[in-house]
Amino acid sequence: MVESFGFNRRQFGGLVAGLTASLGAGSAWAQNTRPFKLGALNSITGAGGVYGPGMLEAIKLAVKEVNDAGGAAGRKFEIFAEDDQTRADAAVLAAKKLVEITKVEAIVGIWPSAVQLAVMPITNAAGIITMNTSGAPEIDENDKLDLVWQFYGSNVIFGRAFAETVRKLGYKRPGVMAFNNATMLAQARYFQKTWEEKGDKVVDFIPYEPNQTSYRTELDRLLSKKPDIISASSYLPDLTIILKEWYQSGIPCKFIAPGWSANETLARTLGADVVDGILSVSNVPATQNPAFKHFSSAFKAATGREPETFAAASYDMVICLALALQAAGAEATPAQIASKIRTVAEQPGKKVSSFAEGRELLLKGEKIDFDGASAPLTFTPEGRSTPDFGIYEFQKDKLVLKEVIRLT
Amino acid sequence: MELYVSAIAIWVLIYTLMATGLALQYGFTGLINFGVVGFVAIGAYGSGILSQHGVPVWLSIPAGAALAGLAAYPLGRVTLRLGGDYLAIVTLGFSETVRIFIIKEEWLTRGTHGMPGLPRIFEDWAGRSSGDLTLLVLLVAVNVVIFLLMRGLIRSPFGRILAAVRDNEVAAKALGKDTASFKTRALMIGSALCGLGGAFQAHYITFIGPEQYVPLMTFYVWIAIMIGGAVSIRGIVVGTVILIGFLEGSRFLRDVFGGISEVQLASVRFWLIGMALICTVLYRPQGLFGERTKGTN
Repeated sequence: MVESFGFNRRQFGGLVAGLTASLGAGSAWAQNTRPFKLGALNSITGAGGVYGPGMLEAIKLAVKEVNDAGGAAGRKFEIFAEDDQTRADAAVLAAKKLVEITKVEAIVGIWPSAVQLAVMPITNAAGIITMNTSGAPEIDENDKLDLVWQFYGSNVIFGRAFAETVRKLGYKRPGVMAFNNATMLAQARYFQKTWEEKGDKVVDFIPYEPNQTSYRTELDRLLSKKPDIISASSYLPDLTIILKEWYQSGIPCKFIAPGWSANETLARTLGADVVDGILSVSNVPATQNPAFKHFSSAFKAATGREPETFAAASYDMVICLALALQAAGAEATPAQIASKIRTVAEQPGKKVSSFAEGRELLLKGEKIDFDGASAPLTFTPEGRSTPDFGIYEFQKDKLVLKEVIRLT
Repeated sequence: MELYVSAIAIWVLIYTLMATGLALQYGFTGLINFGVVGFVAIGAYGSGILSQHGVPVWLSIPAGAALAGLAAYPLGRVTLRLGGDYLAIVTLGFSETVRIFIIKEEWLTRGTHGMPGLPRIFEDWAGRSSGDLTLLVLLVAVNVVIFLLMRGLIRSPFGRILAAVRDNEVAAKALGKDTASFKTRALMIGSALCGLGGAFQAHYITFIGPEQYVPLMTFYVWIAIMIGGAVSIRGIVVGTVILIGFLEGSRFLRDVFGGISEVQLASVRFWLIGMALICTVLYRPQGLFGERTKGTN
């Protein structure tokens, strides 16, 4: 008698169905665990080299946080970092490598406007998301696909914030110094425009060239006009030199500067005597938000220093992107992920301040509102975050929040 | 992948145009021009501004090159009594003057805001990816034509006088040649080629800003001709390929050696280029395909 190992038709059908289901589930499982390739295009060298490494470190911390929580929609993040050298021409080739060789699905951490403007045609053509801290209004104007997201206020908003602050604090004779690049000049010009809207005049407007070892000439020219406050649209290296030379001059004058330059690193470099009384305008809730506290302690543990606002914005980019991916699903295209960014970052929704917290609520089907380390993250229709501004003052060498202003 | 490779090839061909211009000035005429980037900027902005005022790109690019060549004329007439280090310093100052002009004359150049949205070559009818490949073919053709013209020029009586000026200007003058005129013409032709490279680059990146036109670009072009050889067309091409190979190839180092951080890689890139230059100067000062020539500055 021949024993048969054959199946009857029902058993055979069941076996085939089972095999097909397991293969399908296997491939679905394989797709769900497909890593999310994240490009980091940072200014590691060049003029932006002061901030780029910190931004990259923040991106790495955020990616670790996402991956430690199991990834977004089951997909762990993989970083592919490139240096744009703070130049549009170098950035184009770096972006092409990320887009065409590495096939990233998003590029984050872009700092200068020139780089964002130069890579935008490449990334838009590839249909991928980019996130930046660039201030040029042209980015908003040219982004027609809603794939470009600015995690920083525009030059218009910053300039207005400075002018409103100076007016609110009762100063009458502001002078303006501006680092000679598109962002700082635009910011300074909007300060001047906002100030002069009410019929007043700034005492002088002085742009200065980058990478000088002394700004004595520009400073003396401005101080000769006897301003009661100087609005310095500056970065940390040049503000350090300007304040040192101002202090050496012995001429009394207040300063107001952006938070990325008037920060604790400045205080450590120059000392309490120099920085005491200087005003700093920053995104808030820079120090009040749980996301900032959590990010800041991780950043300090990794680097030994406090993060500046661009690093905090870079952290927010990754967390926001991860939450949007979680909401959109593992198979979502970049455009579909981008469409969820406002959903996870704005009201209505339960406030969350970390990826794990947000993911847990999303898995339960609840709405969330991620408040980031750099700002509450409310986006304009053009994809720009409009922060609240905190006015801080150095009391000795410590920054103390004086008040918050909100601009619309 | 092919689009990235074509992007690298486009970059090589653009820098080859600039290197050819500098080779004519330095390798064949003995002029030390440290202001290459100034002429690149004039070509880029000339073409960019014209194209934004409705001039078609196929006209604005040669116009940008011509502007760069014309800009070299007054520089040549004023400075070509100077030689060696003095010409180098003056041309360096010229390139910085061009950059500051771009920054200050916002009504014309948009200053530090830069000029976004420049029209790409061929994109209207070819689309983005085919446009790149078509541009690559065009640049190959342009470079071949330029090389043929250069070869003809060097072998012509004009070229022989340039070589005489390079090797012994006093002797050339003693034979009744107006060496300043020949040097000026070499400066203009070389600068026009640099401007042509700048114009192509502007319409490829589609954004130009003054921060791109810094002396670093000049020294990249110098490195290319020093490594390859300044008196050989093969040398110009090979030197440019090696330069871009180092600059772009170093991006892939981290894929191979995972332990290098991004900050370290930035330093490694410049170290590699610096070492290549030092080794060339020490062991092969005439470049890979150059010849030792007498009286070369």
